[in-house]
Amino acid sequence: MVNRLGIGACLVGVVVFCVQLVAHHGAASFDTGKMVTVNGTVTEYVWSNPHVLVKVDAKDDGGNVVHWVLEVWNPVTQASRGWSKNTFKPGDNVSLDIAPAKNNAPVGEIRGRIVINGKEFKQSQ
Amino acid sequence: MARRLVVSIVAVMASGMFSPLLRAQDEKWNRIPPARATYNGKKPSGPAPRRTLAGIWDAAQALGVNGATEHPALFPGGRGAEGGREDETGIAKPLPYTPMGLEALKKNKPSGPGVRQVDSLLTNDPAGKCDPLGFPYMFLWELRTLNIVHTPKQVIMLSPFYGNYRVIWTDGRKPPADPDPRYNGYSVGRWVDDYTFVVETTGLLPKTWLDHAGRPHSDQLVVEETYHRVSGDTIELTMKITDPKMYTEPWLALNKQPLHLMPDDFDIPELLCSPSEFAEYNDLVAGPVVRDPSKK
Repeated sequence: MVNRLGIGACLVGVVVFCVQLVAHHGAASFDTGKMVTVNGTVTEYVWSNPHVLVKVDAKDDGGNVVHWVLEVWNPVTQASRGWSKNTFKPGDNVSLDIAPAKNNAPVGEIRGRIVINGKEFKQSQ
Repeated sequence: MARRLVVSIVAVMASGMFSPLLRAQDEKWNRIPPARATYNGKKPSGPAPRRTLAGIWDAAQALGVNGATEHPALFPGGRGAEGGREDETGIAKPLPYTPMGLEALKKNKPSGPGVRQVDSLLTNDPAGKCDPLGFPYMFLWELRTLNIVHTPKQVIMLSPFYGNYRVIWTDGRKPPADPDPRYNGYSVGRWVDDYTFVVETTGLLPKTWLDHAGRPHSDQLVVEETYHRVSGDTIELTMKITDPKMYTEPWLALNKQPLHLMPDDFDIPELLCSPSEFAEYNDLVAGPVVRDPSKK
């Protein structure tokens, strides 16, 4: 499954509580019942509307590099959680818990543990 | 060489001395309202001033992601946010649609969480194209922090979310009889007592949505807002929707929704809808994740 998803990631949990999403866009496209961890290197950090994006290159089980695009909320909401334009920078080694796309595209929504260069980033809300 | 070194050291020291000051200055900008939980159990306090709403007010991001707060497009217990339904049958607090209203509802495809949610790329939500939200959509979705200004003949409401603003005339004029429709309509307001301000808005563009769940309205929509200043630091906002073409009876979209007073130097962060940024988002996220590629 992990290979088929093309994920440079490990599946850390299958069942999470179904949290009601409140974003500009909903989570119809994401499997919120699944949590996947993406381990890789930040290639770009996009601090923009409608959603802040973190692009991460991660290797799948076959050693192939997969280009992930991971979204969170808008900059104002992220700021309320302690994020800023400087939270990530290209080259950061990250480990991010995400809800993956239902169609297996390498796209996800960050909704769990965030580790940047070995240090856990605690969100304020 | 020595002189250059001294200059460098002084510069470093100076930056160290002034950086806390700079940080303190920066803290005055892009202020983030308190977390919603901060307001839990809050009691309105302080005497309400007479006949004014002026100030900066925070709605605690409590409004309308799943549709109008009083009628979220969710099943009992908050279930159904993942969407997949064509109509709202079975939601906890159903709306009184007319047959025309129900048909209009089905044509609107919302991307926000709710029982009718679709993939982001497949929505026809005006917000999905950065079109103007119009009123009352701007208040029934993402009403975050609101700057209310009084002039002798107007109450002006500024919402930095998507750059929305409203002008409410208080000079005694009547609503226009047969207006050209506008995104924000035509608003007139009056004080019915020293602490209660009532606004009536008509002439709204039918192509806009009522809320983020895709609730429709017609050219007959009348929105009545009641701003009740219950204390120095709290307004309760109630919004009544009347639209006989779409709904068999009036209904409340908001019912005593609290607005909390912020400090008068509170700088509200900007949150605008940029078509080019939205296009990039669609290219990078909304497009790749759509579940049926034939619908791209």
